[in-house]
Amino acid sequence: MLTAKQNLLETIRGGNPDRFVNQYEFLELIVFMPGFKYPLQPGVTVKDDWGITFTFPEGQIGGFPLHDDEHKVLKDISQWEDVVKPPVLDTSDEAWAPAMEIANSVNRDDKFVTACQMPGVFEMTHHMMGMEDALMALYEEPDCMHGLIERVTDFELKRAAMIVDRIQPNALFHHDDWGGQISTFISPNMFKEFFLASYKKIYKFWKDNGVELIIHHSDSYAATLVPFMIEMGIDIWQGAMTTNNIPRLIEKYGSQISFMGGIDSGEVDFPKWTPEICAEHVERICRSCGKHYFIPNLTQGLNFSSFPGVYEEVSVQIDKMSKKMF
Amino acid sequence: MAKIDEVRSKVETGKTKLVPGLVQEALDEGSKPADILGAMVGAMSVVGDKFSSGEIFVPEMLIAAKAMAKGVEVLKPYLSGETSVSLGTCVIGTVHGDLHDIGKNLVAMMIESAGFTMVDLGVDVPAEKFIQAIKENENVKLVACSGLLTTTMPAMKDTVEKLKGSGLAGFKVMVGGAPVTQAYAIEIGADAYAPDAGSAAVRAKGLVAAA
Repeated sequence: MLTAKQNLLETIRGGNPDRFVNQYEFLELIVFMPGFKYPLQPGVTVKDDWGITFTFPEGQIGGFPLHDDEHKVLKDISQWEDVVKPPVLDTSDEAWAPAMEIANSVNRDDKFVTACQMPGVFEMTHHMMGMEDALMALYEEPDCMHGLIERVTDFELKRAAMIVDRIQPNALFHHDDWGGQISTFISPNMFKEFFLASYKKIYKFWKDNGVELIIHHSDSYAATLVPFMIEMGIDIWQGAMTTNNIPRLIEKYGSQISFMGGIDSGEVDFPKWTPEICAEHVERICRSCGKHYFIPNLTQGLNFSSFPGVYEEVSVQIDKMSKKMF
Repeated sequence: MAKIDEVRSKVETGKTKLVPGLVQEALDEGSKPADILGAMVGAMSVVGDKFSSGEIFVPEMLIAAKAMAKGVEVLKPYLSGETSVSLGTCVIGTVHGDLHDIGKNLVAMMIESAGFTMVDLGVDVPAEKFIQAIKENENVKLVACSGLLTTTMPAMKDTVEKLKGSGLAGFKVMVGGAPVTQAYAIEIGADAYAPDAGSAAVRAKGLVAAA
């Protein structure tokens, strides 16, 4: 039996996997490092190092950045240079010790030690000023947006260098939602103009510094951005929703990029979920996507579900499909 | 090209800095304010169609709506003396328990651009607040309920049921949001479903015209 790492590599290289890669089994995700602040439980409000306030209201399944007058960080894009100040990251051994402890405990022959970067560059722009302002600024103040994006990118690169120094990751899990259910937020041309160069720079840095695998999360439609994903060096797009027609993407791009997802969290991960619903979605996507360049997975970022038991049940069903199909 | 046609063209392409001046020039040229408004509504209708078909994206729609809003600012003093050009009032909100506002805001923008007067109740709106808004505002012809989460679909059902059972009349209920489908809209008794902001504006006009 192949290790989780070997099986992943066989899958994304079109080789001979001996089972489906089961969701995030090949990654040891390290989320908590300096530079990451986000409310993880209902009832919690957190201000991150950039001054962005996130709240996780009771009864919700995640946190939201606040953009009312009191909380919006960047109220006028033309003022970005004065207002948006990159944070100074904690460089103390104490701050990095938990991440290093996890990294040191991993058998790197079996799993990828994986650094997590969230939010991403696009998300940072709208976290700071709200989605509407951020998207309109791409038209109205393109020079300011280029400057802001460069500042965010530079900060990401500084943090990446610190992470490389401390935990020497083998993989990167990078979060940046680029679309909704049926469309990307911006056109492919606009994406290319504003974000492609930044991401090429970011992902090149990681790969130049020991990272073998770039996994990018966008739980959305983003099929039209796949050529850019390949160009910027993404190995696995995690969060690919069914609206992307994943089998067709595999057929067209499979030798260049792999797709992780196909089990839309909204369809499976809800209060009245059942094992039967999980089984139906897992079987459908496993049979339609096949054994190569595809990892069956809930589209949600990170290795858990919003409602207890769903993630684990999906894993059980994937194992069942492995027995049927391998 | 007549100035009114330029207004239409520049709204469609989101020229926010040019539209106010062009509206003034169209007025100076003798175009009726209502006709200029109609030209802008027509432009936004094209924008909505292009968004629905995937030809343009959210920024293009936002910038066009902003261009129209700037044009309407210039027109407003001239429209006040005329018969109301509003298609009616639309009450909109994201249903109880759901804090997503981007989709709702886009729909509000497009329905407003289609000629409705908007009352935006924001997010996490209980059914009772929708009902109260119908009572408190004049000429409510449409109530639009948004929801992004599968977990808040029961709240959408509850809202539609309470609206329909409120005893109030004269309005239609439209629903939308990522997990919502035409079948679900029918199941919960809504009058219409819209899959995106562009379609919402088309449905809104259709519902009012058919009433």
